[in-house]
Amino acid sequence: MKRSRSSFAALVTLAVAAVLVALPPVCSAQHTPTEVESSDDLNPGDETKPESDFRKSAANTLREFEKQVDKYSGQAVGFIASLFFYEFAGHSEFTMKLEEAAFDSPQFSSLISSVDASLSDDTRKTAVWSVKFVRSRLSEDDAVSFDAEIAAIRDAIQPLMDNASSAVNLGEADFTITLAKGDLNQPVASVVADALRSEFCSSKLRSLSVSLKELEPGEARTFHAVNSGIPIVVAWLVVGAVFFTLRMGFINIRGFTHAIRVTAGRYDNPDDEGEVTHFQALTAALSATVGLGNIAGVAIAIGVGGPGATFWMIIAGILGMSSKFVECTLGQMYRQVRPDGQVMGGAMYYLSNGLRELGLGPLGRVLGILFALMCIFASLGGGNAFQVNQSINAVQQAFPQLEAMGITVRFAIGVAMAFLVAVVIIGGIRRIASTAEKIVPLMCGVYVLLCAYILIMNLSAVPDACSLIVKSAFTPQAGYGAILGVLVQGFKRAAFSNEAGVGSAAIAHSAAKTDYPVREGIVALLEPFIDTVVVCTMTSLVIVITGAWDINNEAYSALISDRNGAGLTVEAMRSQIQWFPYVLAVAVMLFAYSTMISWSYYGERCWAYLFGDHSSMVYKIIFVVFVVLGSVMSATNVLDLSDLMILGMAFPNVLGVALLSGKVRRALDDYWQKLKSGEFHQP
Amino acid sequence: MTLSFTNVVVPVDFSGESPQAIRAGLDAVDDASKLHLIHVLLPLDSLSPGVLLGDTSDESRKNRVEENLTKIAEDNSAATARRAVLFGSPGLEVTDYARHQSADLIVIPSHGYHGMKRLVLGSVAERVIRHATCSVLVLRRSDAE
Repeated sequence: MKRSRSSFAALVTLAVAAVLVALPPVCSAQHTPTEVESSDDLNPGDETKPESDFRKSAANTLREFEKQVDKYSGQAVGFIASLFFYEFAGHSEFTMKLEEAAFDSPQFSSLISSVDASLSDDTRKTAVWSVKFVRSRLSEDDAVSFDAEIAAIRDAIQPLMDNASSAVNLGEADFTITLAKGDLNQPVASVVADALRSEFCSSKLRSLSVSLKELEPGEARTFHAVNSGIPIVVAWLVVGAVFFTLRMGFINIRGFTHAIRVTAGRYDNPDDEGEVTHFQALTAALSATVGLGNIAGVAIAIGVGGPGATFWMIIAGILGMSSKFVECTLGQMYRQVRPDGQVMGGAMYYLSNGLRELGLGPLGRVLGILFALMCIFASLGGGNAFQVNQSINAVQQAFPQLEAMGITVRFAIGVAMAFLVAVVIIGGIRRIASTAEKIVPLMCGVYVLLCAYILIMNLSAVPDACSLIVKSAFTPQAGYGAILGVLVQGFKRAAFSNEAGVGSAAIAHSAAKTDYPVREGIVALLEPFIDTVVVCTMTSLVIVITGAWDINNEAYSALISDRNGAGLTVEAMRSQIQWFPYVLAVAVMLFAYSTMISWSYYGERCWAYLFGDHSSMVYKIIFVVFVVLGSVMSATNVLDLSDLMILGMAFPNVLGVALLSGKVRRALDDYWQKLKSGEFHQP
Repeated sequence: MTLSFTNVVVPVDFSGESPQAIRAGLDAVDDASKLHLIHVLLPLDSLSPGVLLGDTSDESRKNRVEENLTKIAEDNSAATARRAVLFGSPGLEVTDYARHQSADLIVIPSHGYHGMKRLVLGSVAERVIRHATCSVLVLRRSDAE
């Protein structure tokens, strides 16, 4: 408990730091009116205030900041789940926005130390640092040599780096430096990249990427460094997927044609136990997986990791087919059919009951409960807040007049979506949800056609795009860091999108009518294929062909650094066909809605597993509240939160599934032998 | 002295204790037709694939439970027992049904849950005892604490 408290304190501290950056008006509101005034005077180009005033104001800001840090790091509220998400996901972020002089002040290092001290050792092991300095004092005309810039970066980061020397997972770093136009050119970029690389890469970081962004007139110079580490969970999913692929004898490849036949209904038997056909089960699972991950997540992966991320995403998708096969087969094997014919299944059931059969009852129970807890939080994050957040981004991007209205319109759309979700999950008007789910395959088709149309229009560019994708998957590209970072981006976004290894889809697939669990598992392997290998790849190709991934292109750089993936895809499409964004906005809203409905079911099942069917209304109300929260939270926070929670489910799931994989292999061999001997009757 | 009842209600939840409850109910009546086997369902409140894409509805659930009631009745020599499927809160529906049928006995197994599970799931038996207007026979599980 003590550990969780200290972690939570750290989490709160970091969150406060992030909020302080995200909401500068809140910070200045704490100042006296005079200070607000002096703060306003710090706009670039305004040199009227004496230097001493400036320093005074900077010091005040810093003191306020320190107070906030002290206040929140002292509040330790027990919340055991935060420990798990936080540490296992291996990601922490510390963001600061300080005025120029603050960097030189002794308080700066003491501030860093105080934040650092609030992180537990355990946290630090997986901690990853992100530093954002906004140098609002520098004007566009200031001549700044890169030596000074690099020296400032080094000095600023050094205490963090020193403290992080014990870190075991300090991996990838991503730097964005905003500079005046005159400073911005490719040789300079190489110099900066090399300097930063030699400074940090050899000793503390495994990989590093640097990108430059042109300074807009009136915009502050910024230095933004994100070190996102190598999330243990991504490695966990990949190792799991490779293991399952080998253990099941490449079922992802040899089961493919059979999967299509089964989905087409050639083996459907209405008398088999279950609630839905194979096709319907696949539709239900796809409505949860095909969502903003395919549109926004992919764009983020390429914006951050470069085109090479696409390649690794496809590899992750193909490997993920095996994970999905194993977990959905288990979902069927350990499902429970209630006296009224309703089927209850999913990772929580196979973890607890399956492992009990292996004599690992207590472990199974713990993993089952852990999974259910994670799934509840994931349904609120990736299955809800992320969907709302990014779909509103897409709509705002498509309709600039809405973007101008800012947070008000976001909140309004959030409330409207919350209402539509509430009438279905609380009000019981199921027809809306039913229609939304049924049109998911159609919307998938429409989306793929939109992308295909763009590809056909740019047919001559397709071979180049493909070769760029493959080439940059293996060779470092300027500005996008080492291969490992690209690989992590690809794998992470693929896992987030197709959920293979996460265990969620087993809940939907367990409802299929079949007497052969393996058969539904084989249907399930189509899910990562459709989701990642087809839909995500289409998004990727559009992003690569239109050049929307290029952070040096000013039309896209802000969207990339804001992690506005949906907006990026909208702009990429707009660059081709003016009205495509409107179609995309509609598709995105529908995807988001059906994904939310499906995830609300996943979350509700897990809630019922933990607390019984009677109390699921509590969960539903929380879910609706998160729709509104998701609409107004910052995209970066939502993305991180969603990643942590969804990928957090993979821990109990992959462990349990690996332990149970022997049973699945035996069932597969038995099934395959019957299939080959023509034992299965096809009506 | 042998207790004799004319109308006995046995709530059946299809758990392992249900057959024992049916047999206890049979012991209390001279004819299986005086036995009422009932099952209470919570109204459909789920967005499962079966509900959204398949044919699952309160009607399909009711039919399925009726089939299962018939089967469990036949398996326990109570083929002529009357059967009913109700929707609502289990404890209240059982006692309401018993009142409407002028039942003089309710036979109900207690699962013997304790600790967290009892707190969360509550006890249908408890509620039945509290609300019943007739006698209630609670069958304790041999391993109950």
